[in-house]
Order: sequence, then structure tokens, then C-alpha cells
Amino acid sequence: MVNFAVLVLPLIAGLFFGYLLRERKKVNLAKVTLGIILILIFSLGFTIGSNNELLGSMSSVGLSALLMALLAIGFSVLFVALIRRRVRI
Amino acid sequence: MIKFILAALTIGVVAGYVNNNLTSFVASNWVTDYLFSASLFVSLFVMGLSFGIDKEAVAKLRSKGLKILVVPVVVALGSILGGLIGGLILRLDIYASMAVTAGYGWYTLTGPLIKSILGTQWAAMGFAVNFLRELLTIFTVSLMVKVDKYAPIASGGATTMDTTLPVIVRYCGSDVLVTAFSSGFALSMIAPFTVVALASLK
Repeated sequence: MVNFAVLVLPLIAGLFFGYLLRERKKVNLAKVTLGIILILIFSLGFTIGSNNELLGSMSSVGLSALLMALLAIGFSVLFVALIRRRVRI
Repeated sequence: MIKFILAALTIGVVAGYVNNNLTSFVASNWVTDYLFSASLFVSLFVMGLSFGIDKEAVAKLRSKGLKILVVPVVVALGSILGGLIGGLILRLDIYASMAVTAGYGWYTLTGPLIKSILGTQWAAMGFAVNFLRELLTIFTVSLMVKVDKYAPIASGGATTMDTTLPVIVRYCGSDVLVTAFSSGFALSMIAPFTVVALASLK
């Protein structure tokens, strides 16, 4: 996991600055967050769109893959919902 | 909000396709590497910031402790069971099917790993299943959160440590940040092992 440190650093930096800003008045992050999410999602889409191998795989195995993805999501959600009734998380 | 996300995704896919196959107006790695990484870092920073400012969020997390690790464990089991049942329904090899869903949404990992063990046909499946998992997580987050507060985290699998994290936090609140990130991280750690182990059984 080469990515871990790279991902954790901005997160920790954010936590630290957030903690410092805690006593200040209201900080409205909603608009900044939405803007940055849209840029992130756009570049994710761009990455998918420029990957011909990925687009090709979608047309050949699309429906079977959709069923598998739905089942994996469905059982993950079901298990988490069930376990949350037993363990308080 | 979800309208804007879907619009951004669609425009991104079309722009990426046009840029790659028809006319190249930017070097594609400028967007796929630099813009993607920069926006990911900034969004993680902002996520951290909103968590740090929220006084209640830290207290909520403190009351949970190590129990949050239950989430990635049951998500891993659910994903692999989904692959098993999918394989039985589609009459495909069950080990290969389980290997494909044991990537937990991390398609850039699962595709190449499966390709090296099971060949191109299954690699296409590995790519597609995990890519759809990420896409469906973004599409359905507003519905999922009504089912269970942690349902989007379960749905996102390994992707909740990066790409789907900002979307999930926005819908579920900043107190789920650490649960989502740690679940995504734990699943990312085990994904290479579960994919390779299950694929090798075929």
C-alpha cells in the first residue's frame, strides 16, 4: 500500500487545522466540499472514459458483471445492517 | 447534489473518451493523474477539516473503538458470498466469481491481478464488476443512507478510503468519516490477498 501515507497525510493535516479552527465561529465548508467533489468525480469519469480496455470489458461482460456487482453490494449491505443490530457501531 | 455528481461523471467519461479517441486537447495523464490526485488530496483535507471542527464526531468515534473493524470483515464476507451466488446463477466457475467480487470495488487492482492469473476474459469481468460497484455506490448513496446509515460504506467496499469517501461523508455526516476510511483501508489491504487466493483455486 504505497497510497496509504499519501492519503492519510492530507486527512491528518485537515484534522489538525480543523481542531485549531474549532473555537472560531461557524465555518461553512458545504460549497467548497461540493466544488471539490465535482472536480474529483469529473476526473474519475475522465479516467474511465480514456480507458478503452475498461470500456471494452463493459460491452462484453456488462450484464453478468452488473448482476455480480449488485449481489456483492446487496450482501455487504445486508450483513452490515444485520451486525449493527447485534453490535453497536 | 446527486444530479451534479452524475453530470460531472457523465461529462468526465465523454470528455475522457473524446480526448483519448477523437481529438486530444489535453494530455490525458494531466487529468487522470494530476487533476485526480490534486482534487483527491484537497477533498481528503476538507473531510479532515470538517471532522476536526465537529466536536461531537470525535466523541462518537471514541465510544466505538475497535468495533469499527467489524464493518470491513462483514463487507468482505458479504462481497465474497455475492460472488459465490452470482457464479452459481450464471453457471460460471465459483472460485473465479468469488475472486472477482473479492476486489471490493478496487477495479484498477482486481483487473490486472485477475488478468495475470485467469487471463483476459476474467480480467474484463474483474474490471467491470468492481468498476460498477464504485459507480453504483455513487449513484445510490442517497437511497442507501435511508436503508442504514452505514449502507453506503458497505456498498463502497475498498473505495471508501478515497474516491467514494467525500460523497459518503456528505450524505452520512462527518462522524462516519473514520469508519468509512478505516473500512476502505482494511479492505484495500486484504483485497490483493483475497483476489489472488480465490483466483488460484480455479
